[in-house]
Amino acid sequence: MIEDQIALIKRELWEHRSLYLTPAVIALLLSLGTVTGQATFSAFGHVVDLAMLGGAHLGDNERAAAITALMSIVSVFFVIGMWFLTIFYALDALYTERKDRSILFWRSIPCTDFETVLSKILTALFVVPLITFGFVIVTHLAVLSISSIWISFQGADAGHMIWSVAPLLDNWLATLAFLIAVPLWSAPFIGWFLFISAFAKRGPFMMAVLPLLILPMLEKILIGSTIVAEAFYIRAWQMPLFKGIDPTEFFDQDTQSIPEAISLIDMMDLSGFLTSGSLWAGIIVCALFTTAAIYVRRYRDDS
Amino acid sequence: MGLIGPNGAGKTTLLKAVLGLTDCQGSLSVLGLDPFRQRKELMQNICFIADVAVLPRWIKVSQLLDFLQSIHPRFSRERAEELLSQTKIRKTAKVRELSKGMVTQLHLSIITAIDAKLLVLDEPTLGLDIIFRKDFYANLLNDYFDEERTIIITTHQVEEIENLLTDVMFINDGRVVLDAQMDELSSQFVELMTTSENAAQAQQFNPIYEKDVFGKKVLTFEGIDRDELAGLGELRTPNVADLFVAKVKGGVK
Repeated sequence: MIEDQIALIKRELWEHRSLYLTPAVIALLLSLGTVTGQATFSAFGHVVDLAMLGGAHLGDNERAAAITALMSIVSVFFVIGMWFLTIFYALDALYTERKDRSILFWRSIPCTDFETVLSKILTALFVVPLITFGFVIVTHLAVLSISSIWISFQGADAGHMIWSVAPLLDNWLATLAFLIAVPLWSAPFIGWFLFISAFAKRGPFMMAVLPLLILPMLEKILIGSTIVAEAFYIRAWQMPLFKGIDPTEFFDQDTQSIPEAISLIDMMDLSGFLTSGSLWAGIIVCALFTTAAIYVRRYRDDS
Repeated sequence: MGLIGPNGAGKTTLLKAVLGLTDCQGSLSVLGLDPFRQRKELMQNICFIADVAVLPRWIKVSQLLDFLQSIHPRFSRERAEELLSQTKIRKTAKVRELSKGMVTQLHLSIITAIDAKLLVLDEPTLGLDIIFRKDFYANLLNDYFDEERTIIITTHQVEEIENLLTDVMFINDGRVVLDAQMDELSSQFVELMTTSENAAQAQQFNPIYEKDVFGKKVLTFEGIDRDELAGLGELRTPNVADLFVAKVKGGVK
């Protein structure tokens, strides 16, 4: 069972190379962007220096906070990329095999429809975040290394400025938790996309997205309420992972006045998230859609 | 066994039911298993080629071998590699880079490397040229077939498989029209080629089908003693294609 799942998930990575190419491209762009940005700064070296950027006067906590902010911005790009990647992967996962008729080959192999669909939902929920996480670490190290080189050229000690205070472990643990939490929190949508992927005769994208747009409008027009729209809004923006702290607000504060070392992990309420009723309600909805996808794949015969 | 029927007769539907791809009414047992409910167990003992286009185009030959090796308990990688080494197929190639004939070769090679009891081929050579078709059947007999294994095959090119068959089944409109062993055919069926005058006399023996060929009459009889027709014209055993036409068209009459 586990060996089969590993083989099936490997198969997903062979077929959907975008699962690792997308984060690889984001990593490359961010690294190149850092090089370009700092080269540009260097070109104005006579007017822009460390003192002007404020770097020279910062204490350990402030520098750690600044580095955390930098690392978090990098992570956000990956989260956005992962979001789109997961949607398109889920829409494609059970559609292409029917379109190119390879489903007949996959069904000639001793794997049940349950095992096949399971490998696809596991890929969307866990494999994509883990691959993305790997690229986030690489990119963090690349961006910090490039910055170290730049700082050295400015005549400062990068070891002291960056590496002695960079809260790498804290940041990476928090990033991992966040990357895994996002798909779990969005699980009902991922389940929906996977179901449409199994169900749609053609044009799965429109078939998946239109109801999500039309349903709230219909509700508003016909019943006058906004329950669906609010549920979507909460799903999109109010993941119960943070302890009532808006991280963007946090970093908007004057960085000169941070009293103590900050920890992203401390800002997260992991147990609260994992015991949240909405999280599990969403996972149940995802399981229902996934089950429906298994049944459609098993019972519908349109070859 | 050759499963032969006109388009829309239900050949593919029957095969799908046998393969557990679709449910059916009544009861169906394949190798002692219920195909639709025990599909995973069944698929360990069955292979099928639905038609040439079903191997995923994005997969590399080596990935296909890796995947089957880890997922199929009866797949022998050594055997597959040995068979592939006799072809021009490179292991680094993707299926989309192979010609139609090579894809079929690849598919047959991996299936031959699976130690399965039953092989189901639904129009396996559709769209292939004559050389690939001949090779396909030669390989099928040489590499795959042995006394323990069963092959069910459907095709429109009846002539090409006629000599391979031990059993033949005709279906039409979802019904079995004929279910016979090949070596029984000569005792069951006879074809008489004769002149129009003799044909009138022969018609009293209730031919199942008659047709005109080059001004002569050809009548097909079922379950008749050849001696009764002796002297009326030239007698021979009909080939499978002619017999199929006689059974299907004659049945409609």
